[in-house]
Amino acid sequence: MRETRLWSLHILAIPIIAVLLGMHFAIMHYAPVFYGMSVEEARAFDTMIERGKSVAQFVIYILLLIAGLYHGLYGLRGILRELPLTPALVKVVDIGILIFGLLIFALGAYVTWWTFNAPLGG
Amino acid sequence: MNNKPSAYNNRLGLKGWMYAGRYSFERYLYLGHRLSGLGLLAYMVLHIVETANRIRGEEAWAELMALFASPPFRVIEYLLFVMAVFHAMNGVRLILVELGFFLGKPKEPVYPYSTSVLRHRSLTYIIMVLAGLLMLLGSSSMFFK
Repeated sequence: MRETRLWSLHILAIPIIAVLLGMHFAIMHYAPVFYGMSVEEARAFDTMIERGKSVAQFVIYILLLIAGLYHGLYGLRGILRELPLTPALVKVVDIGILIFGLLIFALGAYVTWWTFNAPLGG
Repeated sequence: MNNKPSAYNNRLGLKGWMYAGRYSFERYLYLGHRLSGLGLLAYMVLHIVETANRIRGEEAWAELMALFASPPFRVIEYLLFVMAVFHAMNGVRLILVELGFFLGKPKEPVYPYSTSVLRHRSLTYIIMVLAGLLMLLGSSSMFFK
């Protein structure tokens, strides 16, 4: 049952990633089409900080972090668990991936929070 | 003599990735899905670490962005795009296959039996052609500005 739940979350993450990554692409890579600014402008420090102060952006990035990391790390876990590992090593893989995921999420969330609170103009 | 089987000793491990058996094309898509997934995961982690650079200030950020605008990084960016398109399109195929779409009408199980893999083969080709077209479209927007 636990594995079914984890797999279902892996599948559930797909539409979330599709929508949020689409938005991320629209903002960062297709800024000339959607926002009438060059890609360089969209990636400029001040623009990025200003954008990061929006609550919608904050929520989008935190959700994308969660969905993307979960989907990717669950996939990695599945690949590693298919290797001929002993049950003890399977546990090491599970815990190792969980800790790694939490650390990367903490970094991403901290940077998003930092941007949300950063003063404008550097 | 120790006859105790080791855990999961029926698994092929990495060799199983390469052995296509009779599922040839789909098996290589499976391999591609895994490799592109690993590539995208590695990129995502690097991307999170790299964007954390903004904390070091505007100058550090500008230097990083200048580096990403250089030709080698443009090529890497395009390879990432190719991996993302392939992974996403093959993922759509996997979801359709898993949910049992495009299997056709049920038939009597008469020899020679047709496998669901073969029944989905045309869907597979269509999705891969679409993926190829998207990759070409992406290359035009990335390299010919």
